[in-house]
Amino acid sequence: MRARDNPFAVDRVRTIRYRLQSGTSTGLLSRLKELNYRAALVGPDGSGKTTLLEDLERMLAEQGIRTKMVFVNDTSPLPDSVCRQLLSKLTRDELLLLDGADLVPRSCWSLLKRHTITHAYGLVITSHRPGLLPTLVECTTSPALLQDIVRELQPPDRPVPPESLDTLFQHHQGNLRVCLRELYDLYALGA
Amino acid sequence: MDKLSIILDDDKTVFASHEMIRGRVEWNLDANPRRLDLSLFWYTAGKGTRDVGVVQSVKIDDPGAHGSKEFSFALPEGPFSFSGKLVSLIWALELTCTPGSETVRREITLSPTGREILLGSIPAQSRLSWSRSDSAPDSVESILRAGR
Repeated sequence: MRARDNPFAVDRVRTIRYRLQSGTSTGLLSRLKELNYRAALVGPDGSGKTTLLEDLERMLAEQGIRTKMVFVNDTSPLPDSVCRQLLSKLTRDELLLLDGADLVPRSCWSLLKRHTITHAYGLVITSHRPGLLPTLVECTTSPALLQDIVRELQPPDRPVPPESLDTLFQHHQGNLRVCLRELYDLYALGA
Repeated sequence: MDKLSIILDDDKTVFASHEMIRGRVEWNLDANPRRLDLSLFWYTAGKGTRDVGVVQSVKIDDPGAHGSKEFSFALPEGPFSFSGKLVSLIWALELTCTPGSETVRREITLSPTGREILLGSIPAQSRLSWSRSDSAPDSVESILRAGR
């Protein structure tokens, strides 16, 4: 199968957005406002934190709230100098969306947390562990969620049996990102 | 009639390096847009994140709600259109409308052979397969085996 035809190609997977397990996006925004726009999306790898953060960026834009998104990961760290530069450019009407807060060095995190109280509209982060900021959403996955997502992406004439998805889910300890990548390989090799 | 369309001369969609793409765009919108943009670009699709290269763009300011305009772009040397199992490179023309979400895309092929270049296969890496013979299933019963 050509990469462009693969049902699990990244651009197709990215059309699947975060599914709130309880409540609505309006409720989510109300809760965020109650938290004074300082909150965390918490969950393990592949549980949808970054997807939800991106969705939140769009929801906030629709509310007229300006945002600045920063992605931090192993290949794109946030050293002190870059952190200071980022904060110096942040304006009071901007809400900082920080993906990967638990990868930010401790000194940088302290500065960032303190600075954004008075110099930004808010701070929303993703993190693997709770405690950095009040938890807005705890992202979790389930075999049923994987099945729902796969049902939307897979071609109807070549479905992946649910029991195989359960095995995949268990094998990758609920990391949906890795599950979907493996399904990409499966379809790439299967035709 | 479509709100936006890209019509290629002679309906030609396969091109060689440095060849000209000629055609016209037509628009039939409900309101007057501020601008239309026509871009010639390539992008990747597959397992990795998308790369995009915009080669040329033309802007049509204050085009009115209805109209048409001819265009021509010179294609570069490459990259050629190709597909493997991990990544495809796709050339396209895209017409977008500002403000608004109307958009239309027309794929083309840039290749020295007249066809998309197909890359060879890679060794099996997935733990899952369609069946013992690795052939595609024709039913749900051709169950994926996990944990190999």
